[in-house]
Amino acid sequence: MSENQNPQPQTGTATTDSDQSLTTTTGETVEQTRDEWTNYEFQGEAKMTVEDLDVYYGDDHALKGVSMEIPEKSVTALIGPSGCGKSTYLRCLNRMNDRISSARIDGSVRLGGEEVYQDGVNLVELRKRVGMVFQSPNPFPKSIRENIAYGPKKHGDLDTGLLARLLNRSDADERDRLVERCLRDAALWDEVSDRLDDNALGLSGGQQQRLCIARCLSVDPEVILMDEPASALDPIATAKIEDLIDDLSEEYTVVIVTHNMQQAARISDQTAVFLTGGELVEYGDTDQVFENPHSERVEDYITGKFG
Amino acid sequence: MAGASRTGGNLVEKETTETDAVAAVAIGLSAVLFALAIAAMFERISLTGTLAGVETVTLLGGLLTALGVAVIAFGVGSRFGSVETDPDPSAGIIAGGGAAVPWVVIGGAVASETLGFGTAVGAVAAVAAGAVAFAATVLPREDVGSTLPLGSLLAVTGLVFFTGVIGPTWVWELGWAQQAAITAEFLIPVATLFTTLYGGWASAKAYGGFGARGRHMGAYVLVYLNAISIVAFLFTLVAYVVVQGVPGLLNGADIGLGTGPETTILGVSVTLPVSVPFVMNGVALFNDFQGVLPAIVGTVWLVIGAVLLAVPLGVGAAVFLTEYADRGRFTQVVEVATNGLWSTPSIVFGLFGFAFLIPRFGNGKSLLSGMITLGFMLLPLVVITSREAMLSVPDEYRDASAALGVSKWQTIRSVVLPAALPGVVTGVILGVGRIAGETAPILLTMAGGTFIPESQTVDVIGSFQFTSAPPFVANPALLEATSALPYQLYALITAGVGLGSSVSDPNAFRWATALILLIVVLSFYAIGIATRYYFRRRLRHN
Amino acid sequence: MAPVTDSESGGIPSAVSTQLRRTREFVDETEPPALAIIAVMTLSLFAALVGFLAVSDLTIVPFVVFLGTAAIGWVRYQEETAYVIALAMTVSTILILGLIIVFIFRESVPVIRYESATVYGVTVPGLRMFIQPNWDAVSPPIRYSMVPMIHGTVMVTLIASTVAAPLGVSAALFLSEIAPATVREVVKPGVEILAGIPSIVYGFIGFTVLGPWASDQFQTTGQGSYLFVGIVVGLMALPTVVSVAEDALSSVPESMKSGSLAMGTTDWQTMTSITLPAAFSGVSAAVLLGVGRAIGETMAATVMLRGVPRLTEPLVNVFYGQETLTSIIARNYGEADGLQMDALFVAGAILFVTVLVISVGAQYIEWRMHKRLGGEI
Repeated sequence: MSENQNPQPQTGTATTDSDQSLTTTTGETVEQTRDEWTNYEFQGEAKMTVEDLDVYYGDDHALKGVSMEIPEKSVTALIGPSGCGKSTYLRCLNRMNDRISSARIDGSVRLGGEEVYQDGVNLVELRKRVGMVFQSPNPFPKSIRENIAYGPKKHGDLDTGLLARLLNRSDADERDRLVERCLRDAALWDEVSDRLDDNALGLSGGQQQRLCIARCLSVDPEVILMDEPASALDPIATAKIEDLIDDLSEEYTVVIVTHNMQQAARISDQTAVFLTGGELVEYGDTDQVFENPHSERVEDYITGKFG
Repeated sequence: MAGASRTGGNLVEKETTETDAVAAVAIGLSAVLFALAIAAMFERISLTGTLAGVETVTLLGGLLTALGVAVIAFGVGSRFGSVETDPDPSAGIIAGGGAAVPWVVIGGAVASETLGFGTAVGAVAAVAAGAVAFAATVLPREDVGSTLPLGSLLAVTGLVFFTGVIGPTWVWELGWAQQAAITAEFLIPVATLFTTLYGGWASAKAYGGFGARGRHMGAYVLVYLNAISIVAFLFTLVAYVVVQGVPGLLNGADIGLGTGPETTILGVSVTLPVSVPFVMNGVALFNDFQGVLPAIVGTVWLVIGAVLLAVPLGVGAAVFLTEYADRGRFTQVVEVATNGLWSTPSIVFGLFGFAFLIPRFGNGKSLLSGMITLGFMLLPLVVITSREAMLSVPDEYRDASAALGVSKWQTIRSVVLPAALPGVVTGVILGVGRIAGETAPILLTMAGGTFIPESQTVDVIGSFQFTSAPPFVANPALLEATSALPYQLYALITAGVGLGSSVSDPNAFRWATALILLIVVLSFYAIGIATRYYFRRRLRHN
Repeated sequence: MAPVTDSESGGIPSAVSTQLRRTREFVDETEPPALAIIAVMTLSLFAALVGFLAVSDLTIVPFVVFLGTAAIGWVRYQEETAYVIALAMTVSTILILGLIIVFIFRESVPVIRYESATVYGVTVPGLRMFIQPNWDAVSPPIRYSMVPMIHGTVMVTLIASTVAAPLGVSAALFLSEIAPATVREVVKPGVEILAGIPSIVYGFIGFTVLGPWASDQFQTTGQGSYLFVGIVVGLMALPTVVSVAEDALSSVPESMKSGSLAMGTTDWQTMTSITLPAAFSGVSAAVLLGVGRAIGETMAATVMLRGVPRLTEPLVNVFYGQETLTSIIARNYGEADGLQMDALFVAGAILFVTVLVISVGAQYIEWRMHKRLGGEI
């Protein structure tokens, strides 16, 4: 666990170098010419620490030396124009990029102090602790109940199979309690409590996305990654999701990629701005980033001069 | 906090080298046994002989027993905590069913045959043994459940071989009206093979530490093994045909100036510098080396005829269906019909050609009937692949062209067809590969005689003639029965020993025919796959 | 692109009326000379078809007329001519299927009459072919029973399916979900080539290598066993199963698979709990089509079997292989005539109908799966 040594957090102190106490002395040569204001200092503890993360897809250098710390139990928004690498970055945090065979990843990502990119990492365990919600809702073609119970069942925490029922050790009650709790937490319970055995594909888009969030909660993650979770939804459903994210940040560390700057401003505690070419240009308190960005390019992007 | 209580787990796996090593050795042992079983099955190692100084059956038995004991030891060790694993409460119903199957066989066979209680008791014993194995798999914790029944299976099988209860000369007469028996030659390799698969599966689960990861490992071992076996099978098959066929193919072959037959290329008479009599000769009484030239030429004409018939028809139908017809009932019916036509057995096409075409082309088997029959077979494939290719042309292209005021047919001709060309070409080539190897349809419509003399090698172009009576055009070559490679091979097989009179080494001749057929068909496939690869790469670069 | 109208719900009558309306519009819009050319083309082609069916030597005359008008039309009214030709080609595709049905069934009528049997006072044509197991074309009573061949085909198909279905689905899972890209590039063409090896080559290897070996292993009299024909046919049906099942598995949306993996499940859990259930109907269609291929496989069976149309004793004796529906046709067409030839057509009709039903069933299953996966996600 990389402790934040600084007793007096100086939120928004912007320097162009990276002389934080917690970064290693190697790789110090972040070019001074690049306008980067990325060493955001915050109160509390860092949940995830990313250092010098480079991602290549074949010859394409998709992320360039990104370093950032993600504070615990807060909402961190990642914004930037299309193709800036923010989704790539997000997918590095739970190693979903491993699915892409051409992807090559350099650098360090630590979850609670433990290196995620090292030999012997149990991807099952990692993804249990770092959950993910995708851009378009992707419920499984099963009942609502089964969607929620899927993760715990696969991890062996719940057993409601034929055999368990025969041996009278079925966890059906526990499952139903879990389903209700997750659906309540995802603000979906009232809408679906009377049709838990219906196919989840019959729900509306917004409901499906909240179901996916509930599903994500069922394995009790520490971090929830969200990849533009509201981009495929209408304004009302979006508002519900935003409220939900706000509630979630009391218990979970939420990292959210969004296209929508207003959304980022509304829901996040801190914001990271990626610009074209896969660079993290500015990272800081959301109010500061939106009202008084240090980087001119970020200011141009936020005020809509380019993007 | 919401969610289920978290089950403890470490992000980074601990190094557990010793136990991993035990499981890895078990997997390795399974691999060795698997190879030995295959070798024994194909009689590469003799069951009556010795291997590494030990009698083969004893060695197999010993290794199986060792594997079984290792698997059991791992499971029991895990149960009592001396091996660190992450097992589920139960191995699950599927694993239970898997473990029950071999025990059903053993229980039934032992009770009914070895102990001689008869079929009824045997059936009861089979069910009982299966039920016990199922319960032993399903009821205990996963580490015991997925090792103990399978480990015992291995150990029991191994001990039976090791102690010589089933030795190399063991035979079980089935006592059926049509005499058949199960011999040790068959039983020992097959039993070794299947029990080893179970052993490898159990070891792989153990290697993964049971639980979700263990099952993942176990399943992946089997899936990979299956994929490797399929590729190995293909390779063996082709290699075997090549090895058997090359001597016959090169019989009397010669390279050097002036050795080959004379042919006319562009009006100039040339003597080819190579001579491969097998593909350049027919069969004749005074030939030094006999060959299959007429069959090769027959196959070439057959393919040309079928393509000339099927490609225009198929592409035309595909154009109509994709570009002109409304997508609805009509296209759906045609689609179902073409797919149905595509899966219709080839022999049915043969029967159809026999009933429909033969009476219409001079009441005898003819090249033309064969061409049309194969054309009908190729047609549905051309329709299907052309439709697929045309449907994958984006509508934007059509819209863009239509927006420029270009008429529909012009759009199809200059936009849709060129864009769909790669798919159509690839589909046609692969389809041709398929029909070039078909025997059944031409058997009934085209082929006659085991051998066609060299003098009757078809010459379609040279034999067109005009006549005064209807139908005014005649082409005796088209209306004559001839041969093609697949039929030639069939005829050679069915001709049996009688072949010896016209060919000096019938067996080499057959294998060489098979090789030539394989080369012709696989080169169509190679060209088809290469074309697809080429077009795909070009698409990616643009 | 033609406008997509939804005539699905209206059924065939409304489709026909739509077509009629469009035809009328087409006639109204087209210039008279073009219309004349089209009419001549259609009529001459139809006349050629009739002539061909009537086995007339003059068939060539209308056909040449057709070619001539088509050439003129192509030069002067390409648009309309292309349409008519494309339509004619579509119709001929359907016509071929129709002709196959007509001719196969027509030829089998005499033997169906001959093999009538009376049950409860009702004479059922063809019934005797299915209620007694005796095929004897030489010595009276002449009997053409399909039972031995149906038994053979069922045995071979069962064995082939137990080989092809699990191995094929497993290989499809490997190709679509597990294999790294480079491995897939090698294995996939490999499977295609496996499909390309001519069945007579399989049969030849089975006949020369497998047959003697099997008869030695099982101490049978002579060679030819359903067991090994089944295994060989299963291997031949394998590529069909692999390629169709792979298509079905890869049509499961990637987002569903990612969703499961992001929950922290293993790849194998994702495959068994998400991918396979979602693609279940497609995978079963693949197995069905594989079964269809196995039923229709001819040459390997012909070469490897004994060619004696009788039942094995006992019925489960897989170590003897007598005859299947396909092999009896290939083996006997030469010397058969009259009723025996017609009996072969009955075998062909059984094959045709069975495989057609399987094919249509498989297509229906696949269609439903695509509708479910594509329509609601």
